Amino acid sequence: MNTEAIVRLARCAVAILATASLPVHSQVTYERIRNAAHEPANWLTYSGDYKSWRYSLLDQINRTNASGLAAQWVFQSASLGQFETTPLEIDGILYGTGQDNRAFAIDARTGRAIWRYQRHLPDKVEPCCGMVNRGFAALGDRLFMATLDAHVIALDRKTGNVIWDVEAADYRQAYVFTVAPLLVKDKIIVGVAGGEYGVRGFIDAYDTATGKRVWRFYTVPGPGEPGHETWAGDSWKTGGAPAWITGSFDPELNLIYWPTGNPAPSDYGRERRGDNLYSNSMLALDADTGKLKWYFQYTPHDLHDYDATQVPVLLDAVWQGQQRKLLLHANRNGFLYVLDRGTGQFLAATPFAHVTWAKEIGGDGRPVVNPGNEPTPEGTRTCPGALGATNWFSPSYDPRTGLLYVASSEECDLFTGAPQKFHEGHDFIGSIYVPASGEKAWGALRALDPLSGKKVWEFKYNSPPWGGVLSTAGDVVFAGDSEGNFIAFDARTGRDLWHIQLGAAIYSSPITYSLDGRQYVAIPAGGALFAFALPLALAK
Amino acid sequence: MHCASHPDSVADRFFALLGGCRLLLGAGTLLALVGSTLAQPTEARNPLANDPAAVREGASLFRANCSPCHGLNARGGGRGPDLTSGLWSHGGSDAAIFHSITEGVPGTEMPANVFEDSETWTLVAYLRSVSMKQPAPLNGDRAAGERYFWGKGACGQCHMVKGRGGPLGPDLTRVGAARSVEYLVESIRTPSKELSQGMSDPNNHYGIPLEYETVTAVTRGGERVVGIAKNEDAFSLQLLGQDDELHLFLKKDLREVIHERRSLMPAYPEQTLGKQGLADLLAYLTSLRGETE
Repeated sequence: MNTEAIVRLARCAVAILATASLPVHSQVTYERIRNAAHEPANWLTYSGDYKSWRYSLLDQINRTNASGLAAQWVFQSASLGQFETTPLEIDGILYGTGQDNRAFAIDARTGRAIWRYQRHLPDKVEPCCGMVNRGFAALGDRLFMATLDAHVIALDRKTGNVIWDVEAADYRQAYVFTVAPLLVKDKIIVGVAGGEYGVRGFIDAYDTATGKRVWRFYTVPGPGEPGHETWAGDSWKTGGAPAWITGSFDPELNLIYWPTGNPAPSDYGRERRGDNLYSNSMLALDADTGKLKWYFQYTPHDLHDYDATQVPVLLDAVWQGQQRKLLLHANRNGFLYVLDRGTGQFLAATPFAHVTWAKEIGGDGRPVVNPGNEPTPEGTRTCPGALGATNWFSPSYDPRTGLLYVASSEECDLFTGAPQKFHEGHDFIGSIYVPASGEKAWGALRALDPLSGKKVWEFKYNSPPWGGVLSTAGDVVFAGDSEGNFIAFDARTGRDLWHIQLGAAIYSSPITYSLDGRQYVAIPAGGALFAFALPLALAK
Repeated sequence: MHCASHPDSVADRFFALLGGCRLLLGAGTLLALVGSTLAQPTEARNPLANDPAAVREGASLFRANCSPCHGLNARGGGRGPDLTSGLWSHGGSDAAIFHSITEGVPGTEMPANVFEDSETWTLVAYLRSVSMKQPAPLNGDRAAGERYFWGKGACGQCHMVKGRGGPLGPDLTRVGAARSVEYLVESIRTPSKELSQGMSDPNNHYGIPLEYETVTAVTRGGERVVGIAKNEDAFSLQLLGQDDELHLFLKKDLREVIHERRSLMPAYPEQTLGKQGLADLLAYLTSLRGETE
């Protein structure tokens, strides 16, 4: 052994000794993620756990002391705009993605960066709605990210170094990823975006070790496949049905629940007559094979951009006297749905916002559509508007209050539809929509009884929100509004306990974690990630 | 640099959702891309002029990409001028309009756009089809209109022109370049019909701009302050009162905030402002083009 090697060894030993006093850096395992709800010190997966409750057992911050919350640090990501990430917190380190496919690891105690990553993107990437990304998935010592140029990559957790990088689709055809992947066992699941460009949507599973694709499910069935007949002519080829929000998982049933978005072109349907499966649907896929177990289509033959890309919430509850495995879905089309997640059976749907496009959802789960809502060249006023009664930002279910918290919008749009020629890689909308004139759009955080859909309380926002919700065992619910306020609410009454102005609209859902016996709450806004906690004296 | 970082959130709100982000590509990316359009001969004529199919396609492109700022029918929106008036502030030749579309207009909110040349020409064809061949002739007396504006009409109590006048209403320094005569007539006769837009938040991608809407703040003590909301959220209100003062309220100190879907501006019906008076006022307003003297 030469001298250099001895020095290196010695340094290594020193490093090991130095870290010995800190918590041992442990690996992220599938079992940990499966039990994430019982490990509230960390935030291990996009929605907090596989049921997607965004509920934490942490209760240091409570109704009485929340008014004392104070900023602990601010991390600047160096890109402004819609900061949509849900950072993961793993054993004292936060891992997040930013706009323009930036990514970072930061010391969760101090906000100091450990590494930064930025993907070199080609000039021509076509995300419909901003150069956004919603976060990482983690397994072992790896992080997984789906990129704007339609690649899936694995990064090393300690350095941000790229371990593997695979192309899922051609970005020149307007395939993009904005989704935070979902880790299921040894695979990561991603869904593609591009519904505004006439892509053919898909959901993919990749092997975490190698990056090899294990399965793909096309959300628009090809010739010979069931559902293909729901597309007139060749319209399936440009059918859209993207899958750009992270789904949920039931390990017992081994089913992934993944929602899909609008058919393309979104607001003109003459050339795609039929129900347009599996657009605007909930898909239950076998986690190992990607095979479709069941589907439920919320908005058949959609003409109003009512993507179903909202996070499904899994709940086991008594339904009409019987214990059932349920799936809750507050849908962009304005209805809160209850499905049986074993079979996809429709159980109930109740409006949670003002709805004019449909009278109700029938007993078979199909909407009873009101006539006269088809977009015309002159424009048709329909509610909800194209941005929906809610959107991709997460709801939260609190088992203590039994309430589902949904950030909701009240906006009606004037939809104008017109035929449009498809050009590969170009927008394919068939329409524009504008807010109905003379009406003021607004929003609210709503607490709903998830089974009856009954509204228990609401807190009004000045405009439609783009921030999701976190609930906690301290009876405090956190959410942000589009005016840049980050707010702590009394989970039972909706009273605002505390708020702070962060200077930019909030486009993400908060997370919480615990370090050194202190509960932190983190939320991105603008280009910055903010962390709040109680002052030490209050936290003790 | 893409639409996420473009400062124009109103446009983003729609462009982004409509997939028109390419319109909002940042200048850095664009320089290379617009190279080909720079090669356009300066006096190029629209090869698709008067082609009905091109007009239709241009209309569709316009709706998806331009209408968020310029209005659904190109009659002007909160941020973009009316394009039907026949007045072209940055050149009215085919080549000049092509140039404005592809490269944007420096010093304004008009961004550069990435279209294929043929697409840009369909837009030019569409704009020609909706714009007046000749600006409407105005038989008003500009000087009389100016006297009315600053005198009997009291317009200047609320509107500024180059820093002179009141702060409550929209600044009119460039109104002649930004709005058609038709629009001005509507705003004078029926100001509440379509509320003018105020500030929009560049940090709110899908944000809806504030409007010149009558807002009344009622304090716990019962005092009422009427004005225009410069900004508002769930917790506070920044009101420019009819007293021309800024009133900064916390909502917890207010009993009520009343929003009325009407303009604070009084209407000027024919009994108040006759046909000739209106023509005079329009002659003055259309002369306001922001030029330095």
